[in-house]
Amino acid sequence: MTVLEKWTGKVNTVTIGATKAQGGGRSSVIKVGGEESLPFLFQEGAIANKPVIAYEIWDIAPVDWPRELIEPYGDVLNDSLEWAQKCVREYKAEMLCVRLQGAHPDFGNKSAEEEAEFISRLLKTVEVPLIIVGSQDDDKDNLVLPACCEVSRGERCLIGSASTDNYKTLAVSALADGHNIIAESPIDINIAKQLNILISDMGLGLDRIVMNPTIGALGYGLEYAYSIMERGRLAALSGDKAVASPFICFVAQETWKTKEARVTQQEFPSWGSESERGIIWEIVTATALLQAGADILVMRHPKAIEKIDKYIDELMDSG
Amino acid sequence: MEKFKVTFYPDNKTIEVEKGKTILSAAISAGVCVNSGCGGDGVCGRCKVILKKGKVLMQPTGLLSREEKDRGVYLACLSAIQSDLEVEIPSESRVDFEKLGAKTEIEEIELAMPSSEEEKFKFFPLTYKLYLELCPPDLDDKISDLERVYREIKRIQEGVVLRTSIANIRDLGELLRSSDWKITVTLTKINIEAEIILIEPGNTLDKNFGLCFDIGTTTISGQLVNLTSGKILGAKAVYNKQASFGSDIIARILYARKPEGLLQLHRAVTEEMNAMIQELTCQHGIDLNDITCVLCAGNTTMIHLLLRIDPAYIRKEPYVPVANFLPVSRAVEAGIKINPHGILFCSPGVASYVGGDVTSGILFCGLNHKKDLSILIDIGTNGEIILGDKEFLIACAASAGPAFEGSGLACGMRAGKGAIQKVKIEPGSLEVKYETIGDAAPRGICGSGYIDLIAQMLECGILDKDGSIKDIKNKRIREVERKREFTVVFKEDSLALSDIIITDLDIDNLKRAKAAIYSAASVLVRHMNLDFTKIETIFIAGGFGTAIDIDSAVKIGLLPDLDRKRFVFIGNSSLAGAYKMILSREAREKADQIACGVTYFELSVEPGYMDEYMAALFFPHTDLTKFPSVGLA
Repeated sequence: MTVLEKWTGKVNTVTIGATKAQGGGRSSVIKVGGEESLPFLFQEGAIANKPVIAYEIWDIAPVDWPRELIEPYGDVLNDSLEWAQKCVREYKAEMLCVRLQGAHPDFGNKSAEEEAEFISRLLKTVEVPLIIVGSQDDDKDNLVLPACCEVSRGERCLIGSASTDNYKTLAVSALADGHNIIAESPIDINIAKQLNILISDMGLGLDRIVMNPTIGALGYGLEYAYSIMERGRLAALSGDKAVASPFICFVAQETWKTKEARVTQQEFPSWGSESERGIIWEIVTATALLQAGADILVMRHPKAIEKIDKYIDELMDSG
Repeated sequence: MEKFKVTFYPDNKTIEVEKGKTILSAAISAGVCVNSGCGGDGVCGRCKVILKKGKVLMQPTGLLSREEKDRGVYLACLSAIQSDLEVEIPSESRVDFEKLGAKTEIEEIELAMPSSEEEKFKFFPLTYKLYLELCPPDLDDKISDLERVYREIKRIQEGVVLRTSIANIRDLGELLRSSDWKITVTLTKINIEAEIILIEPGNTLDKNFGLCFDIGTTTISGQLVNLTSGKILGAKAVYNKQASFGSDIIARILYARKPEGLLQLHRAVTEEMNAMIQELTCQHGIDLNDITCVLCAGNTTMIHLLLRIDPAYIRKEPYVPVANFLPVSRAVEAGIKINPHGILFCSPGVASYVGGDVTSGILFCGLNHKKDLSILIDIGTNGEIILGDKEFLIACAASAGPAFEGSGLACGMRAGKGAIQKVKIEPGSLEVKYETIGDAAPRGICGSGYIDLIAQMLECGILDKDGSIKDIKNKRIREVERKREFTVVFKEDSLALSDIIITDLDIDNLKRAKAAIYSAASVLVRHMNLDFTKIETIFIAGGFGTAIDIDSAVKIGLLPDLDRKRFVFIGNSSLAGAYKMILSREAREKADQIACGVTYFELSVEPGYMDEYMAALFFPHTDLTKFPSVGLA
């Protein structure tokens, strides 16, 4: 006998991107969230939107990517706009996640004006919805991200990341320029909820917040992240609106810094070829996170993305 | 060993110390108070001093900025003395009670007088006097002097087994004859045995006094009791000077392990107690020799330190104290200066982190004989929660820090005269109305004042739910080094040397303290498969002076959101219980029974506690459904 759970709550739906008719310039709009059951348990409730993969691109040439990750992209890594184009044209990316690493004082220290200029050119180059994340230097991001919000006004981007120590500047900008926001918490569902409340207290509705619960790659605390996401989702489905935001998981960022994804076969003969190992690591991590309730996966390797894309389709078809 | 002279400013005190000693240890020897949260481990960075002259060797530390190093700032605990020194202690490194100037003194306190129905105990003070008129010996009645005294006592108190010490009888022969066989004996009864602790000439029945103390991590409170009438003559409180060896229990236990550490801690507390005794006796014209009994209630570590017992194993798994039930001893053995034959009792403890203060509190509010479920929440540096009724008692402890005792905050103070204890803020204009203890000019803010203040700031939209002060244009709100502060009273209107303020940092401290208490209570209640609504009475104890606004305490998430009528504020329950015990042998024996009957629940190994704590680090709470009356405003 199958016991079916009856859920009273529902994950908030967040809309990313705006078409010309909606005041933006995107050719498509992506909706995330809206689940009425645990991941892919279609008998218990509807899964309104399928999880989506965002290709991660940078505003500068990547600084710490291993050879396997550089290979598929090649020269375009030196030109972010070409890089973006390649993702959309060749790999059919539905969404891009651009990291403004070059704004970081240690990685080029690009000014807010430079980054704003870059974002406005990027918006003209590609027509998919955008995620824009900062350089992870709070002070700098507080200068750069508002400028980027302004030039992309009306495009309904997803901007990040806000944390409990630094959310006000970004929340005000997102509110003023009509964007969504990423609320980042350190693998702690209470802090995640607190941050959602604080941001919504500022007037930015819960339907415009996507939570980054902070994850670890396979072997690096993945199960911890999994259980936090699961707890959050259970609370959301039980009716707690303040944690009912969709999840964004920065899969590649965590995967490709692991030793397992990087070392060569020469160094560890028994581990097999590095040409596949990193990709597999990214795939396995992403697979687990989908089961935990991830709504947006930020990924890098085209082969890993292809596999996960297919996997998502299969899971969605099972319903 | 080479010796150097170290002079401390602004105290202008000089002391000679051996080469290689730290500045902190020199300061302690000189009796100069330097802040030291970690007890000299070099990790808290609070003992910053400025080296004016001389040479030291400082271990590397990341706790000083380049700018500070350039200014000649050193960490006192990491700096080994290499020459004669001149050292200045900046105001931020002075221990709170020093910083607050006038508040270093022992202060008179007012105690809450709760009117709950309590268990009545038979009046039988722990030391009592009997006036004896003996028949002089003659050839027909030749029993010895001592036996004569015994015989007379046994005539009054049938069946009592008596004993005394040799010191008491050395001069007995002379004493009896010179006093014309009219004497007063002071006795203390332990089980069936009664000990004569004192024999005095004439009738001194009206001269029998005792002292009860509550020895807290942050505050020591004491009261002088007339053991003949049962009246309280006076009560005082003072900050525990052990704070200069570390602000919490763990830091003190660690410090006790240092050479002379235990002795220094022991002296810090006894000196403070003796000073308090001196003041109380002088004030009420009482001879120290007429004080025959002291009863101390305190947390387990404090009692260990008072009795100079090494507390080291309290902090090591499986967290075992040397003793919970302390033997009755002479007060002088603990360094307490009363009548040299005077007796010291200690309220029995339950476990390492639930001490005699808790037993005393349970005794006072009668938790142990109530039909309905009650909970006692003692809001102190070490917060204790006890849940139970006449059938069971379970207790846990949570480290809350000294914030609610007014310590470690920019303008915090104990609940003494001039402490702001009630606050009302006008929405919009943000004008502040307040009440102070004793209606005196404001000097600082005490725990109940802070509770009100935060509740009001939340209500008026000055605070975010995570406790940061909002950037509002108002003369009361300003930003200093990226942290905001709110002015409660401007300098012109207060007795303080500067504005009375509350800072982002203060609110963070208070938030952590309230989260520790609330989450401990909620985990304990859940552990018993109960929820707060099943609890009939909530006793609130703590050094809050005469009152605490329950509604404000709920609004900030310190107390559970229940019908306000269920709350009973009982003030310093440890001291109040100690008072009951000193006046009744029956009460003291009851305390032993209570201590035996409490189950200790170890929070530190409870996996859910940390999670509860994180959820409580919000105003009022991350789970707003737990605070329906507070609303989502």
